[in-house]
Amino acid sequence: MANLEAKTSMSAFQLAIVLFVTCIGAQIMLTPRALIEQAKNGSWISVIIGGVLFYIATYLMLRLGKKYPDETIVEYAPRIFGRLGGIFVIIWFNLVFFLQVVTIFSGTGKIITFYMFDRTPPEVVILALLVLCTYCALQDWGTILRIHQFLFVIAYSILLIVWLTSILNFRPENLLPLWPVDVKGVVAGGISTWGMYGGYECVLLLLPLVYRKVSLSKLAKEVGLAFIGATVLFMIIIVVIIGVLTVEDAKNLPFPALIVIRSVELPGTFIERLENYLLVTWIPVVFDTLAAMMFFMAQICMRQWRHADHRPALLLLVPIIYVGSVLIDNPQIYDQMGKLTMWVGLVFSFGVVPMALLLSWWQKGKVGKDCG
Amino acid sequence: MLFLRNFGVGKWSKICLGSILFITISLLIGGCWDQRELQERLFVLAVAIDKADEGGDTKEEKEKKSIENFVQPHGNKLYRLSYQILQLTPASGSGEGARKASISTYVISSTGESMFEMLRDMLGQVSKGFWFEHLQAIVISEAAARQGGLQPLIDLFRRDTEMRWLIKLLITSGEAKKLLEYKPPDGEPGGIFLSDSLHLYKKNPHVPGWIPGLGETSQAIDNKKTVQISRVELVEDIVKIGGTALFKEGKFVGYIDEYATKGTAFFSAAEKSAIITIECPDHPGKILAFELFRHETKLTVHVNGEDIYYTLDIGMKGNLGESQCGNQYDTMDEEAIHKVELLVAEEVKHNILYAFHMYQELQVDPGDFGTKLRAYQPLAWERVKEHWDEAAFPNVSLFPSVNVTIENIGSHK
Repeated sequence: MANLEAKTSMSAFQLAIVLFVTCIGAQIMLTPRALIEQAKNGSWISVIIGGVLFYIATYLMLRLGKKYPDETIVEYAPRIFGRLGGIFVIIWFNLVFFLQVVTIFSGTGKIITFYMFDRTPPEVVILALLVLCTYCALQDWGTILRIHQFLFVIAYSILLIVWLTSILNFRPENLLPLWPVDVKGVVAGGISTWGMYGGYECVLLLLPLVYRKVSLSKLAKEVGLAFIGATVLFMIIIVVIIGVLTVEDAKNLPFPALIVIRSVELPGTFIERLENYLLVTWIPVVFDTLAAMMFFMAQICMRQWRHADHRPALLLLVPIIYVGSVLIDNPQIYDQMGKLTMWVGLVFSFGVVPMALLLSWWQKGKVGKDCG
Repeated sequence: MLFLRNFGVGKWSKICLGSILFITISLLIGGCWDQRELQERLFVLAVAIDKADEGGDTKEEKEKKSIENFVQPHGNKLYRLSYQILQLTPASGSGEGARKASISTYVISSTGESMFEMLRDMLGQVSKGFWFEHLQAIVISEAAARQGGLQPLIDLFRRDTEMRWLIKLLITSGEAKKLLEYKPPDGEPGGIFLSDSLHLYKKNPHVPGWIPGLGETSQAIDNKKTVQISRVELVEDIVKIGGTALFKEGKFVGYIDEYATKGTAFFSAAEKSAIITIECPDHPGKILAFELFRHETKLTVHVNGEDIYYTLDIGMKGNLGESQCGNQYDTMDEEAIHKVELLVAEEVKHNILYAFHMYQELQVDPGDFGTKLRAYQPLAWERVKEHWDEAAFPNVSLFPSVNVTIENIGSHK
């Protein structure tokens, strides 16, 4: 019987959902502090700058992918950059996911142990989450896609509802001045929002599943929708954090996105300490991002080693991911890792991909000329 | 399911296997495996922080203090930390020997410098761990606050994840521990009594209760804003909350009285209700009281060159709540009511300026003025922010404009 879960195609809208879910993920909880520290009251502008910037990067990836139908970057990179150059690009591509995955595992482990199980070592929480994500990533793309679609509707709506209770303590004046005094900080903040939007690189792997069904312009539109959705969500979170906590307070809190609902007391009830509920609703969001990224990493290895199945590669990656996550054992290393991940991702998006696009144009032009 | 088929497991066997698995998992995850009865937890309801040498004047108290102590490797004996602990006694027995369920509190203390170290030392006086999730209030003595400022006193509480952000803070000029030992007449635990009293701020503008608690205080410290904490006093068996203690950059600045506390509520639009009294225009010595129900308040900052000033526009609506002139004053007369409205407006203006000048004298911005300047005139704020409290704020002007409407005169003329 055919494996119905091994999907060979999906719609552009499904790609948009995958992009949205992969982008949002864990970083909504982990990154706002650094952004607010950098861009202050102008953080909302940084989020928009980031949205536009990384949409452009994704559009370039779509253009590149469209040039090589039925192939992922793993197959066409050696043809563009040569054998060694291709291997280097593929390793870099995998590194973008690897660094994100270990940083997210580490950050999630810390936040869960700190707020929920303070006597449990983070390593145990990381291991439990890793087992769960591995189980999901061992499935075929059809299953993972369905989980993405399911969580897109359920987990995000619950998360947003819980989060928006903080509006009870919202003070619009904390957002002012809307236009920042430090424009440089806002622009730099825009670049550093890569930590939030990171994950869009998956289009380089998923494009063969979509490309025959839709045109580039349709794809660009759907992907644009995903970016608009992510930008709006990030903006809501940043605006709520600053509106409730102020910039100065948010800078001093390791996880302001979580603390933002700590002072909420639901009127007419005895319910408070909502941060625990928020954490519980956030875990599925982290899970689906991590599972997808681990699947992508295993897919890259599978294609590179010309295997038929991604599972052995995934099982090989699991201990490496675990060790990588537990090695990030203090906030300084975590910050350094965050910066490293950002630069690896930025150089890939705005260095490697445009270069690949230029080289592929040049190579195709050359082939055309040679034929003529 | 393929592997099950390989082992020759049929459809019914699979259903049975699934059901057993389902029931087993349900049994395992459904129970409270780490459940603990309420009376097995030590709920800390209130915390008091005093200077280590405060109180303890009698011989008995001195003896008690000597045992509430420990050897410190670092620091000095600066503070005495006290906890009010809830004691829950469940009902037991039946018939004549039956005991009713009861609630009571007791207080334990320790002296030291680190709040955390004292907390752990106090475990030597109890048989169960402390539970802070229901902590209601932290009472700080003025002497302790003056000794080292606010920061070392509340750091543990803002850092520890077990603490709620809605814990109320209070300051007393006397001994804070005495407030924990105070038994409210209705038998309510003292910590809950103090916290609930502050919740009445909606009807009592003498209390700066719009400040939700520890979270807001932490935010004010981070923003280098003035921290405002409710004042509480205990004399014999009377507890009274009213007035505000002010802290600038963690240092105790002083108190403002109830009237200034009420004025502060007016310019920050924090009051939900207030009673504004005036002298009857026609019968000197007699009082008329206006009860505020609704208001619209707008504080606007204006910058004219180097000159910074504020306008405060308030529209108030409410009822005539009390007239000590009785029937001598014709409350049905439109002109007479209008006269009262104007006098109430004048009184509100006076109250606002009374509070404003008090803050200027103390050189502390209650928070609203600097915030407005930063939000609406950021360039002007950049110019003055370094010396706002000491140099700029004492020289700014405030021009209040109040419009009062009496909508109802009550159920008697």
